[in-house]
Parts: sequence; C-alpha cells; structure tokens
Amino acid sequence: MQVLRYIGRRVLFVVPQLFGIILVSFFLVKLIPGDPAVMMLGPTASEQSIADLRDKLGVSKPLVVQFGRYMHDVVRGDLGTSWQTTRPVTEDLFQRFPATLELITLGLLVAIAIGFPLGVAAARRKRGAVRRFADYYGLLAGAVPDFWLALVLIFVFYTLLGWSPPPLGRIDMAVIPPPTITGSLVIDSLLAGDLRALLSALGHLLLPVLTLGVINAGPILKMTQSTMERTLNSEFIRYAETCGLPRRVVLRQAVRAALPSVLTIVSVLYGFLIGGAVLVEIVFSWGGAGQYAVQGVLNADLNPVLGFVVFSAVLSLVIYLIVDLLYFALDPRMRG
Amino acid sequence: MSAAASILDVADLWVAFPSYREATIYALKGLDLRIAPGEMIGLVGESGSGKTTLARAIMGLVPPPGVIERGQVAFAGLDLRAMDEETRRGLLGRDIAMVIPNPRAELNPVLTVGQQIANIALHHLGVGRKEAMAVALDMLRAVRIPDPERRLHAYPHELSGGMAQRVVIAIALACSPKLVISDDATSGLDVTVQAQVLDLLQSMVRQKGAATLFITRDIAITAHFCSRIGIIYDGQIVEMADTRAFFARPAHPYSIMLLAAFSHNPALRARWTRGDVAIAGQRAGAGCAFAPRCVRRQPRCLAEAPELRTLGFGHQTRCHFPVQAPA
Repeated sequence: MQVLRYIGRRVLFVVPQLFGIILVSFFLVKLIPGDPAVMMLGPTASEQSIADLRDKLGVSKPLVVQFGRYMHDVVRGDLGTSWQTTRPVTEDLFQRFPATLELITLGLLVAIAIGFPLGVAAARRKRGAVRRFADYYGLLAGAVPDFWLALVLIFVFYTLLGWSPPPLGRIDMAVIPPPTITGSLVIDSLLAGDLRALLSALGHLLLPVLTLGVINAGPILKMTQSTMERTLNSEFIRYAETCGLPRRVVLRQAVRAALPSVLTIVSVLYGFLIGGAVLVEIVFSWGGAGQYAVQGVLNADLNPVLGFVVFSAVLSLVIYLIVDLLYFALDPRMRG
Repeated sequence: MSAAASILDVADLWVAFPSYREATIYALKGLDLRIAPGEMIGLVGESGSGKTTLARAIMGLVPPPGVIERGQVAFAGLDLRAMDEETRRGLLGRDIAMVIPNPRAELNPVLTVGQQIANIALHHLGVGRKEAMAVALDMLRAVRIPDPERRLHAYPHELSGGMAQRVVIAIALACSPKLVISDDATSGLDVTVQAQVLDLLQSMVRQKGAATLFITRDIAITAHFCSRIGIIYDGQIVEMADTRAFFARPAHPYSIMLLAAFSHNPALRARWTRGDVAIAGQRAGAGCAFAPRCVRRQPRCLAEAPELRTLGFGHQTRCHFPVQAPA
C-alpha cells in the first residue's frame, strides 16, 4: 500500500520533471548552429525556396512560439518528423530504442557478472593475485576507450578467427527478422520460435555486449570493492564475527549490505549508456537510438535529437523508480 | 585456584598495534586474568586502557593492524590461540558470547530480530530453521521483551536502545555459553533502563551458570554485580580483589582515583588527582605506567616498574607503595 502511494507520488513528479527537461534541451538544441532548410534543399537552392521552407517548418518564428508548438505536439504523442528518414520520430525511436536497450541491458549484465564477484573477491584480501588483478583491471577499464576495444575485438574474433559475424547490424542480412513484438530481436525470435534468427541475433550481440561488459565492469568493480571493504569493517559484520557465524554466512551478510551501492552505480551506468553506447553502436552499425540522435545533431535534424532526449528522460525516470523500489526491497530502514 | 579449574586463563598477553610512523603501541602489556566457572568478574578502566582489546583478543578478533604478540589465552583448558579458525568460530557465540555496547549499530540492519537470534541457534545448535525460530521466540520471552511474537519480525532500527540491548543479551545467551563477555554493554542507555538491563543480564547469566567478564568504565556498576573486581590501566591489571575487599580497602592509587572520580566529594577528588601530568626524568617504558598521574609518586616509581603482588587473601596490586600496608 505504502509502496503504491510512493509510486503514485513519483509518477506525479515525472510531469514537471519532463517539462523541465524538454524546456532546457529544446533551447540548448536550438543553440546548435545549422539551418535545416539549407540542409534539406542542398547547396543550390534559391534564397526564396529556403525562406519558404523555413516558414513551412516554422523555424522562422520566435523560439518561444516554436517551443509552444513543439509542446503542443508532444502532449499529443507527436515528436515531429525527421527530415532525414521522412518518418515520424516516434516511429523511428520505437524501432531504435529496443536495439539500444537490448545492447546495454545485456552489456551491463555482463559487466555485473565480471565486476561484482571480482570486487567482492578483491575486498576480502588486501594483497595477493586477485587483488592485484582487480586493481589493474579497474585501471585499464577506465583508461581504454570502448570503441577501441570494440575494434580490437572485431579484429581478433572476426578478422583473425572468424568466430563472430561481421559487425554490420543486429542480424544476418540473409536471415528474416522475427515479427516485431518487443523490439528485442532475442526476445522476439524466442517468441516466434525462430531458432535461426535467435542464433544470428545472439551472434551479432556477442562482441558489442562483450565490449560494453568489459569496459563497464570497471566502475562496478571499484564500487563493489570499496563498499565491501567498508562493510567488512563495519560494526555489524564484526559483531557477526564475534557471534562465530560461519564465514560464508558473514560474507553473505556483507554482500547483502553492499548491494544497494552496487545497484546505484548500475542504475547510473544504465542511464548514461542509453546515449553513451553510441560509439559502440557506430562501430557495429547497430542502428540504435544514440546513433540516430547523433545523425540528427550532425544534420540539423532537431526533432530526432529532442525525441531522443524525451525518450531517454522517460526511460531514466523509469529506471530510477525501479531502483528506488529495489532499495525498498533491500533495506527495511527505507520502508520507515 | 588451579589452571584446570578456571574457565578462562589469560596469561602474559601482549597485543601490539604496529604503526608506520611511530613506535609500536601496546594495548595490552602482559595482562593476566583468570576467571572461574560461574564467576562474575568486573574489569574497570578508562578509555584506552585496553579493555576492549582484551575482549577482542580473548575471541581472537583483534582488529587489524593489531596482533597478539605473545601470551596465552586458554578457554576451559583449550588453547584458543593454537586453535584453527573453524574450531574457534564454533566456540564463539556458543561457548563464548559477547554482549556489545551499541546494538543498534551492531545488529544487522537488514535482518529481523528473530532471524538474528535464530541464526545463532541454526549454526551453533544444529537445529532446523523452524526450531531456531522457536528458540528465538523463547529467548525474546526470556529477556522479557514485551509482545515477543511481534518483535520477532521487527528490524533493529525499530527497537529502542534498551530493547535492542535485550536482543543482544538474547543472542549472547541463546546457546547457554560458559563465558559471557560484556563490553561496556550498557553505557549507551539511560540510567533507569541501564539498571533494568543489568538486572536482566545478571539473572540470565546466573540462571545459565555462565562466567562473566564484565568490562565497564563505571566502577559503581561492578559493586552491584561482580564478585571480583580488576582494575586495568595502560594494558595491565593494576589491582585485583574480591569486591568487598576492594571497596573496603582499595590499594592502588589509580583505583582510589577512580573511586574518587565517582564520589560527590570534590575535596577527595582533588586529593587523589594530580594537576601536573608531564614529568621530566622518566624514560619511556621505564617505571610505573601510572607514575605520571600518581599523587603518591616516589623516585623509585619512575625508575622501576612494579610487579603485581599479593597483599592479602586474593588481593593483588601493582604498586610499590600500596595505600594499605601489606598483610
């Protein structure tokens, strides 16, 4: 009951938050130099036709009026049209966001699978091979750019070994993708019972997911390690030691106490990666949301950029809501 | 008292805290302590005297970077220092239990009271989950927590300080230990609650027949609860006596200073407290550790460290010039 009330209050706050985000990003995006009319008509267009198009697009009006018009459409679920794809931005994003989400969700799962156990193991001993490995790993993961690692992985696993499919999109061109239900190729091909599509989709996911996983395991490792070190020295763990509880039970209690911090860093990474995975998307021609937004920025196609901001804002708010609910579940003190 | 008859035998225990910059600090400097089965012994000392380190050293859990340099800790004839870790873990919580001073920080915040008591029973008594929960409920009843069925599902932050302290006592006594170490257990409580909790602890310990090492800063408490009193100063026992003998004729100037500090007599306090603490002419480590603060200091105190010696029946003190004449 209490949780429902909490969710209700949070959802209520989403409205002003979203408005603020759109307001700020609208004016920021408008600051980017570049005239969509010129881009659309090309270098040989006459002054008159450019002016006409500008009027038609509404970009000749004052910014405040433009903003009003944009908001008017947004509340109706219309994020405008992209002149590059000539399709409604909403449709484009509904196609591209699942691609990005599938990629970063799996990437983060791999990152957790690497970073969390390594962090716990490193926190348990002050020296030794595991600790040293964790230290170097954290350092390297922070220093190596993800797109570079992606290129190295492609070179090794595609060019040299030929184990992975070419880095061109999410599925083999020869394979017919499953009918879109969720937008995730893995889930959709599972739902369709299409083994060929599933294997192809998984094969294409392998390297980009590995890239994101290996790089983002760094911060998760660091956070887990420092939290675990603090927890293992905390009063209640020392008390558990004096009570003579078996070592694995004490460790389990410490891990449990470290979970909220790890959850925090994972949620931050998730929000960041929605746009931050763009370089990896580009390397693998993923066709994800970040790539779409960057194309928009480069070509003065502003609706996709704003649409991307709105989508990722909503998504981040949803993620933080889920995280808060998980905190509730993990820590009875939050339930108050 | 022979060694075989004692439940805990600490002999010549040295605990060092090495430091990178300065000389190693010794929290315990050859401490000796013997506790008979069922005995309640009070150990009084100020902050930094080594009380807590002693409690931890007995359990083999000196916080790093501290190390036990030498000495002996024997529990019921078993050498705790030579014991492998698994065996020691089996003893802790079952045969040697600890009552802690700050339960709301030291109980696990994400486990219910019932789970925490049950955990002890589960791992030390070898019972199943259901029985362990039954033990937990019994223990909550035994420590007289109101509405125990409901409290079983409460989290530590939902308890008052006194109630949390009762939970800690329930955890400590769940396995009927042979030795209970209470480390400043009631210092965080109101005086009235403190008295209730102490009464409870005493009656529970008596009922289970456990020996108790009652570590405290409050010398007045020991007068009520302990049969023997030890005074610890700078990592050493400076006086040890039966409670009645101690309060009748305290021998060590430090003991008297402590008693004076608790009295409401400013003149008495002034007489036993030295204004000037720093003194010239004493080499570090030489002489009596208390000499800088001692009102009865003599030249010999600065040059020669006193040994623990017996004054009368069971009354020992570490002073060249004890207040009471040797018997």
